[in-house]
Amino acid sequence: MLVLTCVPAFLVLLILVGLFVRARPILAEKPFFSLLFSSSWSPLKGNFGLFPFIMGTLWVTLVSLVLAVPVSLLSAVYLSEYAPRAVREFTKPIIDLLAGLPSVIYGVWGVLLVVPLVGRVIAPFFGVTSSGYTVLAGGIVLAIMIFPTIISVSLEVFSSIPYPMREASLSLGTTKWETVQHVVLKKGLQGIIAAIVLGLSRAFGETMAVLMVVGNIPRLPRSVFDGGYPLPALIANNYGEMMSVPLYDAALMLAAAVLLLVVLFFNVLARLILVRVERRAA
Amino acid sequence: MKKLLGGIISLALFSMLAVPVPPAAQELSGTITLSGAWALYPMAVKWGEEFSRLHPKVRVEVQAGGAGKGIADALAGVVDLGMVSREIHPVEVEKGAFAIAVVKDGVVPTISEKNPVLDRILNSGLKKEAFIAIWITETAKTWGDALGIADKTALHVYTRSDACGAAETWAAFLEKRQEDLKGIGVYGDPGVAEAVRRDRLGIGFNNINYAYDAKTLKPLSGIVILPIDLDGSGKIEPAESVYGDRDAITAAIAKGVYPSPPARDLYLVSKGRPQSPLLVEFLRWVLNDGQKFVSETGYIGLSPEKLADGWRKIEGR
Repeated sequence: MLVLTCVPAFLVLLILVGLFVRARPILAEKPFFSLLFSSSWSPLKGNFGLFPFIMGTLWVTLVSLVLAVPVSLLSAVYLSEYAPRAVREFTKPIIDLLAGLPSVIYGVWGVLLVVPLVGRVIAPFFGVTSSGYTVLAGGIVLAIMIFPTIISVSLEVFSSIPYPMREASLSLGTTKWETVQHVVLKKGLQGIIAAIVLGLSRAFGETMAVLMVVGNIPRLPRSVFDGGYPLPALIANNYGEMMSVPLYDAALMLAAAVLLLVVLFFNVLARLILVRVERRAA
Repeated sequence: MKKLLGGIISLALFSMLAVPVPPAAQELSGTITLSGAWALYPMAVKWGEEFSRLHPKVRVEVQAGGAGKGIADALAGVVDLGMVSREIHPVEVEKGAFAIAVVKDGVVPTISEKNPVLDRILNSGLKKEAFIAIWITETAKTWGDALGIADKTALHVYTRSDACGAAETWAAFLEKRQEDLKGIGVYGDPGVAEAVRRDRLGIGFNNINYAYDAKTLKPLSGIVILPIDLDGSGKIEPAESVYGDRDAITAAIAKGVYPSPPARDLYLVSKGRPQSPLLVEFLRWVLNDGQKFVSETGYIGLSPEKLADGWRKIEGR
């Protein structure tokens, strides 16, 4: 059983090592950090700067979190503390269903609805002309994809908070909202962070839905109305050219390794925050 | 349990005995798998249908995903034939890519029918230099820049995000490679058509079979084919106006009026010279009887010499 438990732990390490081994040809020619922080991407000329893609990933993910976290936390609070039982019972399965939809569906829906919305309504509102294929469109689609994850995990967390704690707070004369602030959210903080990290992990890796709406321009985005090009989209789009351009496969393997490192970094960061929160609670 | 196992084994033995009884009376059977270029997809589907009609025990499975995927899948041995809609790179030939030209088609620039300066564009067309200013140097930021008039209507440039023949061929027309094409990358040929249809300021490029409707033979509703000013006169003369319907453009490509690139040969690629009798027969049929279906599916046939060359190559002569 111990061995079995070790398998997944080693698997991550194994994948990372494997990716770096396959990426060695390019690392032998160019130093790792120059690849990481160079913005010029033209494989045929031998330039493999990954920086625009790393920033593309971070931008899209950040936008999606900014949009998703407040909305999903508030709706989780509403569903768990305020909503009548019938509403909650009715909503939960729908949210779970959303979590299970294939990402291509979100992508198609994004192209049909979100892209024109950004291009025709949101961008002109801010005085920008845009085709709609933007970081913002990617962020919106992604936010909608991670809503269900954050909501349903937060709901579980809130329901695990003992009811007497709320009653104690209310009996001291607090309003319901104050109880939510000082008891529910405070006690559930760890769980909320875990929920956000789960959403974050999905956001980093999401490929198809984002690829379809984000514009795929290998350039540093300067605003949310610019096109971006996240790492997973780079790998998916160019997998086909791997065979025909020297060093291309190594560069894509490196991109995959970098993506894995970014995800690991944020997971470790979240773990550290969790540990700190736990210690403060104790 | 033992009984069941015994049953299974005896059944397996029995079926092993049973299968080779008719010594494959020259009837072809099996599955042929193809993947790759969107450009070749409708043709391959048609060929697949007709070929399985002739040989009912043969199944032809076709999957689209861009020329790059086609060649990668073929070289990796995932499929029997890759569909490739661009020239084969030397690196790919080194890795064993064995390409047979099977048919011809073209890439055309597309815009929305709601374009605010549509009349002007249809009247004067765009020169190759204007396309270079739009896709490569990005010096044309408005439709006025592209047309050489004072007009400040913004211009939205679309290209393909997936590694594909259409983009590679369009870039070849502009004397560059796909990675040099700037603009918003959209996935797939239908994706670009849809983006251009919805964006009245947009410009993109499509394979003929995704720019024209297969039933009406007219350009897809909402899409207008942008005429290329081939002689650089600043005006589209009747001789240059070859975009009315699919038959007109295929005729123009066949006659060489529409240049190559953006017209180009389409290839089926296998890993090494095809050996299996099924695959060889399929390719033989494609190069001979299969050519009957070329024009009705919206492609341009190759010259008899080129087809014969292909067959000689397969036979290893």
